[in-house]
Amino acid sequence: MLHLRSHNLLIQKTLSEAYEANEKGAPLTLDRIVSDFDYTTFHITNTPDNKVILWVSIRTKAWQSVLQCDPNNGLVSFLQSKYANAAGVSVSNNTEPGYDFTLQIDLNALNQDSIVQVSLLKTMVLSFPFHLAFQEFAQLCTLPIPEDGSSIDSKTLYAIQHRDDEQFFIKASNDRITVIFETVFQDETDKVLGKVFLQEFVDARKRNRSIQSAPQVLVSHEPPLELQNQKTTRNVQADSSRRFITFVLFPRHFQTEELQFSSVSQLTLFRNYFHYHIKCSKAYMHSRMRFRVDTFVKVLNRAKVDDEEEDNESETQQHTRRTITGRKMVY
Amino acid sequence: MSYLNNPAIVMDNGTGLTKLGYAGNDSPSWIFPTSIATSQASGAKTSSNQSNTASGAASSGGSGQINNPYFGNSTSATSFGNNLSSNNLLLSNNLAGKRGTEDLDFYIGNEALIASQGPSYSLSYPIRHGQIENWDHMERFWENSIFKYLRAEPEDHFFLLTEPPLNPPENREQVAEIFFESFNCAGLYIAVQAVLALAASWTSSQVTDRSLTGTVIDSGDGVTHVIPVAEGYVIGSAIKNIPIAGRDITLFIQSLLRERGEADTSLRTAERIKQEYCYVCPDIVKEFNKFDRQPEKFAQFIIENQDKTKQKVVDIGYERFLAPEIFFNPEIASSDFLTPLPTVVDHTIQACPIDVRKGLYNNIVLSGGSTMFKDFSRRLQRDIKSIVNSRIIQNEAVTGVKSTGVDVQVISHRKQRNAVWFGGSLLAQTAEFKSYCHTKKDYEEYGPEIVRNFSLFNMV
Repeated sequence: MLHLRSHNLLIQKTLSEAYEANEKGAPLTLDRIVSDFDYTTFHITNTPDNKVILWVSIRTKAWQSVLQCDPNNGLVSFLQSKYANAAGVSVSNNTEPGYDFTLQIDLNALNQDSIVQVSLLKTMVLSFPFHLAFQEFAQLCTLPIPEDGSSIDSKTLYAIQHRDDEQFFIKASNDRITVIFETVFQDETDKVLGKVFLQEFVDARKRNRSIQSAPQVLVSHEPPLELQNQKTTRNVQADSSRRFITFVLFPRHFQTEELQFSSVSQLTLFRNYFHYHIKCSKAYMHSRMRFRVDTFVKVLNRAKVDDEEEDNESETQQHTRRTITGRKMVY
Repeated sequence: MSYLNNPAIVMDNGTGLTKLGYAGNDSPSWIFPTSIATSQASGAKTSSNQSNTASGAASSGGSGQINNPYFGNSTSATSFGNNLSSNNLLLSNNLAGKRGTEDLDFYIGNEALIASQGPSYSLSYPIRHGQIENWDHMERFWENSIFKYLRAEPEDHFFLLTEPPLNPPENREQVAEIFFESFNCAGLYIAVQAVLALAASWTSSQVTDRSLTGTVIDSGDGVTHVIPVAEGYVIGSAIKNIPIAGRDITLFIQSLLRERGEADTSLRTAERIKQEYCYVCPDIVKEFNKFDRQPEKFAQFIIENQDKTKQKVVDIGYERFLAPEIFFNPEIASSDFLTPLPTVVDHTIQACPIDVRKGLYNNIVLSGGSTMFKDFSRRLQRDIKSIVNSRIIQNEAVTGVKSTGVDVQVISHRKQRNAVWFGGSLLAQTAEFKSYCHTKKDYEEYGPEIVRNFSLFNMV
C-alpha cells in the first residue's frame, strides 16, 4: 500500500528466519545482500567460526556526512547507546571491510523487539543529526528570549548528503527545528508531477482544518535563508529544476521520545515516499490511458466494414447496427 | 554514479508465485503469490476499513509479530499456511474516505490473499499461463513489490526480469514501457526463463562446461514445459507442453485420500503430503511388494488445528510413490493425456535440428517445484536412455553403421526449486551484466522496440 514502513522488512524477515531456525537447533548459513533506499546496502552473514553469531553491516551514502555532523565523533557511541538495550545486539569493533558499520547479533539472546531495532539501522544512522539538533534545541530553549521577539538560531547547520545530488539540512532554533530537503528530478514527467505534489504539500495544511497540527511546509526555488552561508557544491545544470522543501518542526513534534522517533522516521523517508507517490500516479495515468485506448479500439471496430456483407446486403446496410465490439445486432 | 554499486534486482514473475530478490544472493528474498487484491465498489468498503484502523495504528509502531503475513516464503500460490489468524495485521490505509484514490487501495502477495477474505477486496492473478494479462494490475504489483518489499528506488538499480518462451515481442515492449516510463529504472534486461534455468545448472557438480545448450524441463504448478535451448536461443518450434504439473499431482493425492476415506482430505493436506513424503521409485510393481512386506514404509501425517487442541491423523500409503508416477505413467491419473514425460522429452529433441541433438540429450536440466521429488532425475535419465538406446539398436540394424552412442544426462541440483531466479541472480551479479542491459538513455534514444533484442550472456 501507500504506507512505507520505517524499518526494513527484508532484514526483519531474514533475521526472524535465522532466529527461528536457530531455535529449532539448525542455524542457517547466511550470506545475504539487502538493499534499501538511497544507496544503502546491508550485508547479513555468519561469522566465520560461529553460526549463531551474525554480522549485519551497513553501507550508506549518508554515512560520511552524518559522521561529520558532530566534531566529537559521537555517531558510533550514539548508535552504541541506541542498541545498548536491544537484547542480543552489540556493536562490533571491527567493521566489515567495504561497509561503514557492523552490528554483531547473538541469535541465542535475540528477541522480536531487537530484530525490529536492527531493521531500523538505517533510520538510526540518519537520526543522529536530528538527535544533535534536539539537544541543541534544548540548550537554546533555556536562553532568555530576545526582547524584539526574534528567535535565536543555532550557528551550526547539519548537512546530510543522502544522495549523489541531493542533501537535506537540519537547523535548530530556540522555538523550532527547521528541516530542509533539496530535490531534483532526472525525468521531465517526474518534474511536472513533482511540482504538483509539492504544491499540494503546502496547500493541504491550509485547506484541511484537521491537520493543523502538522509541521508547516514551504516550497521554494531559491535556497531558504537558513542555507545562505552554505557553500554550493552542486551540479549547475540541474540547478534550474532544484526545489527546496522546508519542514518546520515545532516543539510539539518532538516533545517525547516516541514523537521524536516518529518525526525522524517520517522525515527520513520523505524523499522515498514522495518518489513512490509520483510513480503511483504515473501508474494510475497509464491505466487511464490503456482504458482510453481500449475505447478507441472499440470505436474503430465498430467502423470496420465486412466485405461479404457489402455484396449481398447492400439494401439492408442502413439497418445493420453494430454493438460496441463490432458484432452485428440481431433483431 | 553511485548506483553502480547497488545490487541488481532480479524479478521472476510466474503464473503462481513471484520470486524477488537482489542479485548475488543464493535464494530469492521474497516468494509470494502473484496476486493482487483490489478494492471493489467504493461504497461497500467504508465500514470494514474503519474497523481496521485501530488495529492498523497499533501495529504501525513497528512491533514485530512472528506470524507476520509478510514472512515465510510461499510454496503454494493459493494457500498461505499459518496466516489465517493474522487478519488484523493488515495496515489500514484509511483511504476509503477520500475520493479518487481507489487505484491506491490494493494489496499484493500474501497480504492480498488475506485481504480477499474480507468483503471489500477481490483477488486476481495478473499473469495467466506465464504471460501478463492485466497490465494495470501488473504495474501496480510491480510498484508495490519494488517500493514496499524490496525497498529500492528503481532509479538506482538495474533490473533483470524473466519472460516465458514464445513471449510476443509486444509484451516485452509493454514491460519496457512500464519500467522505463513509470519507474525510470536505471537499466533493464529481460531473459527467457529456460535460459536462466540452464545457467542455474552450472552450479551442479555434474556440469563441466558452461554451455547454454540443453533441454529444460520446467514444471511448476499449472503446466510442464519441455524447452530445447541451443546456444542461448530457444528452439520455439520444438517446445512441448504437458498438461500435468504440481496441481495435478496434488489432486491425484487428494482423490486417493478420499477413496480411502481419510480424516482430512483437503487440498492443503494433499499438497503437504506431496511436498514432504513423495518420491520416485524405479519400478512400481516392486515398490508395491516392498510396501506390503515392510509396513514401516507407510507414513502418518498429523494435522493439528490452529490452537493445537485437536489432532487428525492421516495415513499415507502407496501415494508416496504413485503420485509422482503420473509423469511417467499418465494413464493412472488422466484419461486424455497419455504420453509419458520421457517420451515427450525424446520427441522434443527429435524435433530439433540434428546437429544440436547430442547437446540436448547430454544436458537435460530440471527446474521448478514439481521436479523436486527424490530420484526424479535418475528415473528420467534411465527412461530416456532406454528410448534412445532402442532407437540406436534399430538404426544400426537397418543401416548397418555402428553408432558412436548418445550420452543422456539429466542434471539435478540443489537450487532447482527457484532455478530461474537463481540463474538470474548468477548472471546479474557478474560485472558484465550492466553492459548487456538497455539503459534509460538507450530507451529514450530508440524507443520501446529496443528491448526486442538483448545480447546473450556469453559466459566462459
